[in-house]
Amino acid sequence: MSIDHASDLPLSGNDPANIKLLKSALDSSISGIIITANTQNDNPIIYCNKAFEALSGYSRDEVIGRNCRFLQGNERSQQARDDIRKAVAKGESITVELRNYRKGGELFWNELYISPITVDGGQVTHFIGVQNDITRRKNAEENLRHEREQVEAKIEKRTRELNENKDYLDSIIQTIRQGLLVLDPQYNVISANDFFLKTFKVEKRDTIGRSLYELGNGQWDIKQLRVLLEQILPSSNPVLDFEVDHEFPHIGRKLMLLNAHRIELEGKFKDRILIAIEDITEIRASENRKDDFLSVSSHELKTPLTTIKGYNQTVLRLLPADINPKIPMMVNKSGKQIDRLQNIITSLLEMSRIQSGNLVLDADSIDLNILVKEMLEEMQQGHPGHTITFEGQINKKVIGDESQIAQVLQNLITNAIKYSPDAKEIKVLLSEVSDFVKISIMDFGFGISQEDQKMIFDRFFRVSNVQKHFPGMGIGLYICAQIIKQHGGKLWVDSEPGKGATFSFTLPIEKKETQHD
Amino acid sequence: MTKKLLICDDDVDIVEMLEIVLDDISYEIITETNSKKVLELISNTHPHLVLMDLWMPVISGDQILKHMREDKSLASIPVVIMSAAPDGKEIALKAGANGYIPKPFDVDELVQRVNEFIS
Repeated sequence: MSIDHASDLPLSGNDPANIKLLKSALDSSISGIIITANTQNDNPIIYCNKAFEALSGYSRDEVIGRNCRFLQGNERSQQARDDIRKAVAKGESITVELRNYRKGGELFWNELYISPITVDGGQVTHFIGVQNDITRRKNAEENLRHEREQVEAKIEKRTRELNENKDYLDSIIQTIRQGLLVLDPQYNVISANDFFLKTFKVEKRDTIGRSLYELGNGQWDIKQLRVLLEQILPSSNPVLDFEVDHEFPHIGRKLMLLNAHRIELEGKFKDRILIAIEDITEIRASENRKDDFLSVSSHELKTPLTTIKGYNQTVLRLLPADINPKIPMMVNKSGKQIDRLQNIITSLLEMSRIQSGNLVLDADSIDLNILVKEMLEEMQQGHPGHTITFEGQINKKVIGDESQIAQVLQNLITNAIKYSPDAKEIKVLLSEVSDFVKISIMDFGFGISQEDQKMIFDRFFRVSNVQKHFPGMGIGLYICAQIIKQHGGKLWVDSEPGKGATFSFTLPIEKKETQHD
Repeated sequence: MTKKLLICDDDVDIVEMLEIVLDDISYEIITETNSKKVLELISNTHPHLVLMDLWMPVISGDQILKHMREDKSLASIPVVIMSAAPDGKEIALKAGANGYIPKPFDVDELVQRVNEFIS
């Protein structure tokens, strides 16, 4: 072998000692070095240093005379090979990264620098290949790339999920039959759903980005709304069922029920305000129509009843003493039925008013000792078959509507008597419990099963096995429970079938500052 | 002098019934079913008590009552309103009624109330 440029080295000439020195220098390199002879067929390897042997796992004997391509194993179609081929053809040097295989079949990344050796005429006689194992770097790069891909995939997935969630939430918001506005902390509209736009007949472009108060030429600059947003919401969040009554220039008077929620969560949505607007104009109008209808109906039903009741009672009073005893008995029975009819009419009207929230409390200070005593005396007179006893005394008054509380007492005592035909005693207990007064009405009749106890305060519920024997509509206890609820108390029952039932209710004791004698 | 009770209700059956119910009471009973005429009748007769319905056509009981309270010569005449209206009591008391009897009423109670006011 001969290397032309060796003559450029300070170690000149063909001195064998010099050549040996040069070879030692090549063997000392940590890079693998090979020399191929371009002038020979298939550009065979004619030299390799020790580092190449260590790198490739092949001994010198095994590589001399072979073309370098054996290092590529089965991967002969790598892009880098084309680059090498082109550079070799042009006699240029090149650096490529190749996937090579050691003798044992193990893959390694080879950073190969190829430099052509030319003679004076420009012909390439040899190539020098300098090889470095960059597997570790490549693996690090590969890991990095893999990780980046994974992160990107994750981001993509997350983004897709976020978009899905957004679409999902958007579809919910667009589907609900309530107007929904999102405001920034300065009350500018960030978004408005379709229902809002449709109900209030506004365009999206005239709404988004505008101040709420400026919408539709200031028609949303409503005093009640300002009170809600600027005074109530900052200190009391969320605000539910806030009623706003407003005359809009084009769509007319609207009665709206608002829920407002200020986002308190730290982050970019903080202090945004969500407003859900329910248009209850029609509902309220229809409730009022129903109430009016029932008011008129009950008036019209009670008017003839007044005449019937008046005559019936007068007939009873005018009956001669020596008359057939069946006659006063019959007149009495008619009287009872008239009273029943009167109660039904009253109950129906009250139920309607409870449902529409129009049952007005005529609140006053009540001495329950007196009210209960009077009520019991009256009930005792009407029901001589039972003995109604009364225990307990309270020192405080309650605030409430006396006629409604009386109605509850009457209803519960009537029930107690009605559902204990074989027992003779009804007990009424009055006591103070914490800041409530508790009244219990105890009978020793049929009792109520656990299952039925859950439902007896529901509208139109009737205990099935008493249905046939004891007529009624099943609204009495519902009304009682609603009246007590409106008074801030609670009505409940304790009972065991066959042993009787105790209905108890509480009423809040009048606070000291308003207590008057 | 016989005391006078004026009864006004647009329902003629109720007026008739009340006449019978109150028959054994020693008052002079004046009745009217046309609410338009009742103010004039009150002015002319100056009853000791007016027993009047609330919901009547053309002029309602509470309107008549308000007119009476604004008229010095009639302001002191006690008026008891009777009604089957659910909010009757509220309206009657607000208009200045001296008493309220919900319809349908107990005959004995009605007689008792009338007696209380007249005597």
